[in-house]
Order: sequence, then structure tokens, then C-alpha cells
Amino acid sequence: MRCRRQCVRTYQDHRKGNPVIRYWNIISTVCLLALALCFLQATARTSGEEIFFESNNAYRNGDFQKAVEGYNTLIEGGFDNGHLYFNLGNAYFRLGRLGQAILNFERARLYIPRDPDLRFNLGHAREQAIDALAEPERFVSTVFFWLDTWTLAELFWAFAAANIIFWTTLSFRLFKRSEWTYYMCLVAVVAWAVCGVSFGVQWRQINKDSRAVVLSKEVNVLAGPETGDTILFKLHEGAIVHHERSEGGWSVIRLSDKRRGWVRAGSIERIVFRDFTTKRSP
Amino acid sequence: MIGLHRKYPFAFLIVCFWLWVPMAARANVAVSLQVDRKDATLADTVKLVVSISGMRGGDSQPVIKGFEHFDVSEGGRSSRIQIIDGKMDTNVDFTFYIRPREAGTFQLGPAEITKDGNIFQSNVAILKVSQNDRENGLDEGPLFLQARTSSSKAYIGEQILYTVKLFRQVKVSNVSLSLPKTQHFVFKSLGEPSEYRSVLQGDTYHVLEVRYAIVPSNAGTYTLAPSTMGMTVYEPRDRSRRGFFEDPFFSFSNAKPISLTSNALELEVLALPEVERPNDFNGLVGTFQIDAGLAPSEIKAGESATLTVHITGRGNVNHIPDLDIPELTHTKVYADQPVLEVNTDSEGLFGSKTMKWALVPEKPGRFQIPALCVSFFDTKKRRYVRAETSPFFLSVLSGEEEPVQLSLQTGEKNKAASGSGKQEITTLGQDILPIHTSMTDPAFARQSLPSRQALAMILISPCLVFMMFFFARRAKKQSRRSLDDAKAKTAAKTLVKKCQKGRLTPDEFCLSVRHYFNDRFGLSLGALTPEEAVGLLTSKGVSTDTANRLKNVLQKMDAAIYTGMGSCPCDVEDNVSALIRTIEKEIR
Repeated sequence: MRCRRQCVRTYQDHRKGNPVIRYWNIISTVCLLALALCFLQATARTSGEEIFFESNNAYRNGDFQKAVEGYNTLIEGGFDNGHLYFNLGNAYFRLGRLGQAILNFERARLYIPRDPDLRFNLGHAREQAIDALAEPERFVSTVFFWLDTWTLAELFWAFAAANIIFWTTLSFRLFKRSEWTYYMCLVAVVAWAVCGVSFGVQWRQINKDSRAVVLSKEVNVLAGPETGDTILFKLHEGAIVHHERSEGGWSVIRLSDKRRGWVRAGSIERIVFRDFTTKRSP
Repeated sequence: MIGLHRKYPFAFLIVCFWLWVPMAARANVAVSLQVDRKDATLADTVKLVVSISGMRGGDSQPVIKGFEHFDVSEGGRSSRIQIIDGKMDTNVDFTFYIRPREAGTFQLGPAEITKDGNIFQSNVAILKVSQNDRENGLDEGPLFLQARTSSSKAYIGEQILYTVKLFRQVKVSNVSLSLPKTQHFVFKSLGEPSEYRSVLQGDTYHVLEVRYAIVPSNAGTYTLAPSTMGMTVYEPRDRSRRGFFEDPFFSFSNAKPISLTSNALELEVLALPEVERPNDFNGLVGTFQIDAGLAPSEIKAGESATLTVHITGRGNVNHIPDLDIPELTHTKVYADQPVLEVNTDSEGLFGSKTMKWALVPEKPGRFQIPALCVSFFDTKKRRYVRAETSPFFLSVLSGEEEPVQLSLQTGEKNKAASGSGKQEITTLGQDILPIHTSMTDPAFARQSLPSRQALAMILISPCLVFMMFFFARRAKKQSRRSLDDAKAKTAAKTLVKKCQKGRLTPDEFCLSVRHYFNDRFGLSLGALTPEEAVGLLTSKGVSTDTANRLKNVLQKMDAAIYTGMGSCPCDVEDNVSALIRTIEKEIR
């Protein structure tokens, strides 16, 4: 018996001491964890796809409320995707909730700005809105006219590619100083600057985007955060305003023509509700 | 005379112009005759103007026929010159005022003018003269308003003339007319008001006449309420009491606003007869004509011919229908947008509608295009009339099979679209587009950005790689330089050691000195002459004496090598060691 124990202890000591076995253990543990993560992701995706197809079927069958619930479940579960917002906007439109429809179409535009269906539906929904609120032409939009058709992610990856090319060219020039490496560096630096500035401007535009959509059928815009305050003007569902701040259940809004006032916080919702860089797909 | 144009260039130009005008103005001669109205009473004075273009005013006087039943007085002549696009045109207007002597319908004109033996004739005008209103019982004083209709009976849709006349012997201004408010009549203004003179029982009146076309829409007997005309009347003052400050230059009369009311009128509106009413009748009432044309009548298969139908007439022209061409075998038909023109004159509304079709036969042969027709109620004949075109035949020859080229000939409204026979798209409904259903779409991949840490890593890593390369290269350079420095420091020691170690042969000594130079100064010399050694040393700050000492040693060694003593040991250690140390001290 003692001999057997001695043998086991010797074997364990041998295993602990052997570096190959120790590294093998670490690698296998990491692989197992990665497999488990992939499995969890695949399970979540499968579950997401099921909900998505069920919601689509509900939409086709005219059960728009169920479709809305399904799409919202997916979005709350982390599926940040322009097509989901598009479908959600469609479902809200069918339910007659114009404000929610425009809100979700606008959110979809952040992900799929070049989608022709989205452009059509958003234009159609905006035409249904009662209030005529013209968005003034901004200097940034005029100068960086291409930003409206690029998503933030696309601009980031373009900048990342330009960044790699730029530093690679520069590294190459460390070892080979010739005329053509000079011109390559010049082209790379221009591409790097254009992509970088575009990404920066888009980042700022999205993170500073204060636009909000009126969700209630009719909203009284008051002179102060009290029910008894003077009604300055009225807004209707689907109108796009700028949200400045919220205080005690009330929000300060501003229109493009500089008119300002207070509305109940629940009657509007911001289009960009959180930082894009924190989003994740399951 | 020849130098006049230099002295007085402006006057010369004017003279040239006036000489050139009559010559240039001798263009085509045209004569026209116009009267300011087509019906009048015995009391009215009618203005008649004969316009002659292409002749100077003094050439001749027009001779006008049809003045037998009128008292004529000349109203003078006026001439004008127009230069349009460099082309000169002269016009002379002869004005006559004519007053009928008896009631009836008279033809005025033609006016004739003779030039160079040629006779030029104008058009004729018809004037209908009725009895004097005063004879009909009107006697209202110096200012009164009169309303009349051209007929007291009318069919639904038939236009009748409603005329309001203001007879005045005093000055008026700010005239405004309020028409009677009626439910079943539509009033349409017929041009600007006209003004003329009229004589009633020896009294001369200025008459302001306003004309309207009335179109009844319901059958029944109606009373047209009086029209009301508001104005400011200026009454002359009593001259006997006029003072200095009542000078006519400042105040000639008293102004007073008044309102006049015309007589009411009875009007009987008849329903259109049900008997013999055509099936395609759509309410068109009046007198209309239809004509059509097909051009060309002979084409190749695949080419196009244009069928044009023109309906013109007087009445409710807005009701002229859009005709449909029946389906033709082996022929494609492309309809053009119909063009409706509505005009007014003193007799009422008139106009036309033009419809065009492009016909593209696909096969050769002879095709009949059936007659097109329009039905209307003729107000003169008091019955329904069906006007129709004659049938056309289109001869089609066999042609090359080419893409169909349509060619509508006139400047129709949508000419660009008609070139391909296409129609503008009409929006029938609006809705959103359907949902996106595909999960396999690559666009369904993650569309949001990675985390901030990942973003930073992706952006910073290329820069880090570059920095790595940069510092590695720098370190490499530095290590090479330090190696060279170390070699330089130990070069002298090595040579001295070698010299002290044992007896060196001249070959070994020369090799050791060359290594010393290479290591000491970072060179890679393959051979070293005594002169080169002196040059190198002096360039490094070594004195000439010291350099020459080394030169002497090296020359000795060279001499030994070249005399075959290169492999025999030599005794140089003490001298050379001291010399190397001196060199080391003197090197800057």
C-alpha cells in the first residue's frame, strides 16, 4: 500500500515537474473555454434567428404587435443591427405609431445608411408627420458630404486599413529610402488623414447627436417644467427635435429654428441612446 | 456735298435714315378693316379703322364699300414705323366714325387701296343695327345703367350674352360693377369694357359697355337680378359764383359717390331635348366643326404616321370630349396629350381641342382608320348634330425591322415623352416597402464598433510595430559604432603587444601596422605604402616628424621584403613601441 502511494506521488511530482505536460494543460483549458464560448454564442445566435423568423412571420400575418415584441427582444438582447431596426420601424408604422417608426428608421440609418428600402420608408414616414420642421443644412454635412452614406464602423475600418498602410509604408522607408517610397508615403499620409478626419467627425456627430423623436400624438411644449406653465407651441408625433437636457421628469427641447421649451420626458426619445462603441452582438 | 458726312455725321445719318425709310418700307402691302363692335343701335356711333401696312400714309386714301347706310365722319389718320429684327414695317390707320341710318344687318368693306396699278382689298365686317333703346322706352336722364341679354330663352349649356351699358353725360370715375348673384348661371367676362358715343333723342351720351357670357346649368324660368354699378360722379359747379380760389385749375366740379342699378331681366332656360339624344353626347352645346388629317398616308412598317383631329367651335368648349381611337389591327397607337384652347371675343367663348395619335403599323398592307365623331347640341339648328371625320387609309409598305421611331410633328406639350409614346407615371397609392427577412445576408453581421480598448489596439499596433523597427535599427547602428570605437582603442595595444611579444618578420610587421591603421581609423585597407601612412597620420593631426619616423621604419621593412629578407626576424620592438605611443598621443 505504501509502495503504491509512493508511486502515485512520484507520478504526480513527475507530472508537475514536466513543462510539456504543464503547457498542455494550459492550452487544453483555454481551448475548452473557447469552445464553450463559441457554443454559447452559437446557441444565442440560433435563438436570435428563431425569434427573428417568428417576428417576421407575425409581421406577415398582420400581428404587428407580436412582431414589435420580437424585434425589441432581439435588440435588448444585443442584436444591434440596422435591418432589425428597419423591421421594427415597419412594424410600428403598421401599428400607426409614427413616432416610433421614424425613431427606429433613424436608428437603422446609423447602420445601413445606403439601404434604398430604408431611405424610401423613412421618407414616406416623414411625409406622414404633421409638423413641417426643416433641418438646416450644416457646414459639416456640406464639407464632409460622403459621411451620410458611411457608417461609423465602415469609416473605422477604412481608417484602420489606411493606418496599417501608412505605418507599413513608413517602416519600409526606414530600410529603403528611394523616390517611390517617398511618394508611397505621401499617398498613404493623405489617405490616412482623410479617413482619420472622416472617422473623427462621424464619431463626434454620432456621439453628440441630440436628436429626439416625438412619440406622443400631440405634445404641449411649455415655458417651464410645470404643468401650469404657458404653452409655447405644440408638436405632433414624428417631429424631430433636439434634446438638450432632462430634469425631474421633464426635458428641454430645441427646434431647428431656435425655439425652445419643456416637454414631459416620456413624450420624446433620443435617436442615439448610448455610445456606439459599447455595443456588442452575441 | 461729298465732305458733308464728315462735317456733320449725325445729321447725315438722319438724312440717310429718312431717305431709306420710304424705300425700305415698300414691302408687302396688307389692308385690314376693324369695327369696335358687331352690334349697335341707331343711336350709337361705331368706330371703324382701316389699317394699311407696307405703304406710306400719303400714298392714297382707302375706298370703303358699304357706307351707304351710314353717316360717316373722318377720325383722322395715324402712321407708325416699326423696325423688328432689322426689317422695317410702316402702318397707317384711317379712322372713321359711322352712325347707322336704319336698322338691319350691314356689311362694311372691303376697303380698297390702289398702288402701282394693283388693287389691295381688306376683309369685311358685319354690323347688326337694332332700334334705338330710347325708342324701346328707356329714358333715364343724364346717367343711367342698362342691362340686356342677347336672348330671353336659352338651353342648358348654351351661352348667351349679358351686356351692361352705362350711359352718361357727366364725368365719372372709379367705376365698379357688381353682377347679380344667381345660383344656376356662370358668368364669364368677355374682354375689356368698351367706350363709345351714342345719341339718344338728340342727346349725346358716352357709353361704357361691359359684356359677359352667361351659361345656364339648370332648366327653369329665372329672373336675373339687377346689376349694380358704383362710381364717383363729378357735377359741374355754377360758374357765376366762382371765386379766385375756385378756379377750374384747382377745382372744376364736386365729386359724389353714387350707385346705379340696372333693370332686372327674365330668362327662360330650356332643358336639352331627350329625343334623338346621341349616346356619346356629353353636354357640348354650341356650334362645332371637326376636321382631321393623316400625315403621311404612306409609310413603311415600323415607321409612324400622325393622325390629327381638330374640333373647333363656339359654345361651352370646355366640354369638348377627348376622343378615343378604336383599336387597330397590327397597328400600335400612341396617344398624345390633347391640347385645349379657350378664347373669348365680344360674341362669347370659342376655342378648339387638338388631339394627336402616333400610328405605328407592324405589318405592310392598307389599313383603314375609322371616322371619329363628336356629338353636340347645335344652338342654331336647335337639334343634336353629330360631326364626324372622314375615314382615312394608311398604306404601309414592307420596311426594315428597326426599332420603332415615333415622330409627332408639332410642338405638343409632352414632346419629349411622346417620342417614345410613353406616358407619365401616375401615383395611385403610397405605402412603405416590406421588411428584410434574410438572416444569411452578410449585412446581418455585427455592424457596431469593437470596444474602445480594441479600437485603440487596432489603431496603435501598426504604430508600435513601426517604433519597434525604428529602435531596432537604431540599436543596431549604435552597436556597430561602439564596436568600431573599441577596436580603435585596442588597436595600438595590440600592435605594441605584437611587437613586444617576439621577433616579428618584416611581412608580419607590415601586416600588423596595416591592421593597426584599419582598426584605429575604421578603414579597410588592403595595402599600405609608407607615403599613404604619412598622409593618413598627418591628416589625423600627427606631426610630420613622427609620421616620417614611421615612414622610415616602414621603408626599411619594405626594403627587407624586396631584398628577400621578408621572412627573417627583425629587431624593431623598442623603436616601434615608442613610436606608436607617440602617434597615439598626437592623434586628435
